[in-house]
Amino acid sequence: MSKVIVPSALLNRVVKPSRYTGQEWNTIVKEQSKVDVSFALAFPDVYEVGMSYLGYKILYHILNGRQEVAAERVYAPWVDMEEQMRNSNIPLFSLESFRPLGEFDFVGFTLQYEMSYSNILNMLDLGGIPLLACDRNETQSFVVGGGPCVYNPEPLADFFDIFLIGEAEELILEIVDCYKQWKQSGRSGGRAGFLKEAALIEGVYVPSCYDVNYNADGTVMSIGLTSKDIKPQVHKRVIKDLETVDFPTRPVVPFGEIVHDRIMLEIFRGCTRGCRFCQAGMIYRPVRERKVDTLVELAQQLVNNTGYNEISLVSLSTADYSCLHPLITALMSRMKEQGVSVSLPSLRIDSFSIQLAQEVQQVRKSGLTFAPEAGTQRLRDVINKGVNEDNLRDAVCAAFRAGWSSVKLYFMIGLPTEEDDDIRGIAKLAYQVLDWYKEVKGRRGAKVTVSVSSFVPKPHTPFQWFGQDSIEQLERKQHLLRDMLKNRDINFNWHDAKTSFLEGVFARGDRRLGKVLLKAWSTGARFDGWSEQFDYENWLTAFAECNIDPHFYANRERQEQEIMPWSHIQPGVEKKFLWREYQQALKQELTADCRRGDCGACGVCSGLGVGIIDWGNE
Amino acid sequence: MKIRAEISKGDEIRYISHLDYSRAIERALRRAQLPLAYSEGFNPHVKLSFASALAVGITSQSEFMDLELTKTMNIDTIKSCLEPQLPAGINLIRCQQIYNNAAKLMAVVNLACYKVFFSELSGHEQLEKSIHKFNFSDNLLFVRENPKGKKQIDVKEYVQEICCNFYPYGLELSFDTKITPSGSIKPGEVLQALDHHYDLNLPLDDALICRTGLFIEKGTKRMSPFDLIGEK
Ligand code: SF4
Repeated sequence: MSKVIVPSALLNRVVKPSRYTGQEWNTIVKEQSKVDVSFALAFPDVYEVGMSYLGYKILYHILNGRQEVAAERVYAPWVDMEEQMRNSNIPLFSLESFRPLGEFDFVGFTLQYEMSYSNILNMLDLGGIPLLACDRNETQSFVVGGGPCVYNPEPLADFFDIFLIGEAEELILEIVDCYKQWKQSGRSGGRAGFLKEAALIEGVYVPSCYDVNYNADGTVMSIGLTSKDIKPQVHKRVIKDLETVDFPTRPVVPFGEIVHDRIMLEIFRGCTRGCRFCQAGMIYRPVRERKVDTLVELAQQLVNNTGYNEISLVSLSTADYSCLHPLITALMSRMKEQGVSVSLPSLRIDSFSIQLAQEVQQVRKSGLTFAPEAGTQRLRDVINKGVNEDNLRDAVCAAFRAGWSSVKLYFMIGLPTEEDDDIRGIAKLAYQVLDWYKEVKGRRGAKVTVSVSSFVPKPHTPFQWFGQDSIEQLERKQHLLRDMLKNRDINFNWHDAKTSFLEGVFARGDRRLGKVLLKAWSTGARFDGWSEQFDYENWLTAFAECNIDPHFYANRERQEQEIMPWSHIQPGVEKKFLWREYQQALKQELTADCRRGDCGACGVCSGLGVGIIDWGNE
Repeated sequence: MKIRAEISKGDEIRYISHLDYSRAIERALRRAQLPLAYSEGFNPHVKLSFASALAVGITSQSEFMDLELTKTMNIDTIKSCLEPQLPAGINLIRCQQIYNNAAKLMAVVNLACYKVFFSELSGHEQLEKSIHKFNFSDNLLFVRENPKGKKQIDVKEYVQEICCNFYPYGLELSFDTKITPSGSIKPGEVLQALDHHYDLNLPLDDALICRTGLFIEKGTKRMSPFDLIGEK
C-alpha cells in the first residue's frame, strides 16, 4: 500500500485546501493489515457536494460496520487541484488512508446526475485506473456504479464493471462477500469469473454480460445475454422495512461548510404522489416510513455523536410523513434545550405546511418555496401535480399572514402538451402572488422569485417516450417569460437550455454514447454541471467526431413498442403502467396517490414482494 | 461560569479556516454535553470568543478562547468531558475559570509570535543580509491587496525584528507581530513584503507558518491571557 503525500506548497496554491486533507470527526481509518476488502466511495463532484450525500453516509456506515472491510471517501478535485496533481504526478487518493484510487478492490461511483459523467472518467484517470472496463487487468479495481441514474446506466456501460440497481444496504455486503469468496478460491476464473458470480446476485447488473443490437434506424433491436444463466431482467433491490437496516448515527462531520451542513434524518423512502415527470417518484417506490420513536432516538444519537445543532427531516416530500406533527413535537421538546433546531426541506404546498414551518421557526431570510411546476391547471393535470390555484392561494396567504414576504416558485417548461398559454400562466401566477400579498397586507412589499427549469424526460417515467423540447424551443419560452416578468418585485431565473439538452441525451442514451463521453472528456470536459466549466461546443465536436446525432436521443418521440436501452433494468414499475399514465396525461386525467388511497397497479408491490408502510394507515 | 482555554491547531487541520476551526470547537463542546450558554435572538449562538483569528494554512501552538457555561462545574470535569470530543489537531492545553470583570481576549491580546519554516531555500546569504537590513530600517512599506482594494501599510509598525536560524534541514524565521486597535499584519504578508522589497524570490508557497504564542504586552512586560482573569 502506498500513502499519497501532498506537499503543502501544492495545497497552499489551491482554493479550499481542506477539501483534500481529511481528518474530520467520525472518520474511520482502519489498520490496513486487518482489512480484507477495500471499497472507495467516490463521488463525482467536489467535496462540499459529495459530503452532503446521504446515500454515502449510509454505505460508509454499513461497509465499515464490517471489521474486515474499509470504506473510504474520494471526491473530485476541483480544476485547480487537478492541475496541481497532474503537474506533480499525484494520483487521486482517498481521505482516510490517502491511498491512490487504483489500489482499492472496489471503486464505487454514485450516479446522481448525468452531467457528472465526465468527472467519473476524469477521476478514474487521475486514480490510475484504465477507463474502459475491458482494459482492466486481474489486479485492478472493480468499478461499481449505483444511484438514481443507474436505472439507465447504458451510456456508462463501457466504463463500469458492475452496476448495483436499487437500495444497496444489503446488496453491497453481498457483493463484498462474493468478492471474498472469489479471493479465497484463488480468484477462480479471473476477473470475468468474479463478474459472472456477481451477476447472479439479485440487483446486480454486469453490462459486459449483455449484448445490445441495433436496428437500421438506430433504435435498439435486442438486448442479448452472453450466457444462459444471466438474468434477462435485473430487478432493483429494495429494503422491505427500513426499521430492519442500520441508519448511520456517526456520520463524518466536515470542517469546512458543505452544501447540507446539518444532520440529515431520513424519515421515509419513496413517494407515491405520482407526478408524471418525476423519476424519483417512480424508482423509489413504494413508500416506507420509519417510526417516530425510532427517529427520535436516532436524532438524539446523531446530535450526541456529531455536535450539529440542526436536524433536517429528509425524504422526497416531508409533509407527507403520516406522523409529521407528533414527530416534530417530540423532536422539538427534546432538542430545544440542547440548542438544536429542526428544519423541513422540500415542503409541499398547503397551509398545514405553513403552520408546521412556523412551529419549527424556520423563518429564514431565504423565504418559502412552492413548486406548482406548471402555470395552468390544465398542464398541472397533465403532469398529475395534484395542486390547484386555491391550494396555492391558501398556502401563500397563510405564509404572508405568518410574516413571510418572499416566496420562491418553481416551474418547469417543455412539458408534454405545453402551449404558450401555459407559459403565460407562469407569469400570471407570479403576479397573482404579488396581488395576494396586497390583499392580505393592504400594501405592496412581496418579493417573488420565479425559478424555471427545463423538463428533461427520464427513463422509467410516463414521459420516457416524449421528445424533449429543442434548445431553440426552450430558449424561446425563456425569452417569453423574461419579457413578461420584468417587474422590480419579481426575480426570474432559468436553467441553461444547452445543459438540459445534454442531460436529456445521456438520460435516455444507449451504449453508443460511451465513445462520445470518452472523446469529450479527452478534449477537456469535466464539471459539466458547473456553468463556468461547461463547454457546449466541445461536446458538439465530440458528437460530430463520433458521428452520433444527439437529437436522436433527446428530441425524438418514441413509439410505444420501442425497446428502450434501459428495458432490462427494472425498478418494478411496469411499462404498461407507465404507458397508461402517459395516455392519461394526454387526456389530462389524474391518478390518485396510492399511499392512502387505492392501488394504482404500478406493479412494484406485487412484482418485488413489498408493500407500503405508512403509520397513518394503522 | 466563564472559562478561558488555551488550545492548539495542529498540522492535521492546518488548512481549515478560522470559521471552520471555531465551528469544530463549537461542535466538540456540544458533543461534550457541557451546559453551554447561548446568545439570545433568532439564531442562538454558543457564547464563545477567540483572541485572534488564524488564517488558512497556519498552525498554532497557542490559541485562546473564552466560553460561558450556564452552570458552575469543576475544571477537571470540564476537561475530561471535552478532551475526548476534540477532533484531530486540537488539543486542550490549559483551562481555567475567569471572572466577570476579566477583559475580553480580543481587546487585550496585542502580540502574536510566529515561526516560519522553509525546508528548501537557496540564497541564504542574501536573505540574512536583507533581514539584517530590515531589522535596522525605520520602515518598510507594503501594499496590501484584497477584494476591498489596495492599502499601503508599514510593516515596521507591526514587526520590529526578525530572527533567522539555519538548520541542516531548513531555515526558520521567527518574529512577533503587534495587534493594534487599527489592525495588524498577517505573517504571510510579512514574508511577501520581505520578498518583494529585497527581491528575494522566496518560495512563499513552501512556507510552513506556525503561531507560537499570543500575549498581552504592556511596556516591557509580557503577560499570558491567563494572567488577566479578573477577580471574584
Ligand atoms: S403497486 Fe400499487 S400500492 Fe404499490 S406502489 Fe404501485 S400503485 Fe402504489
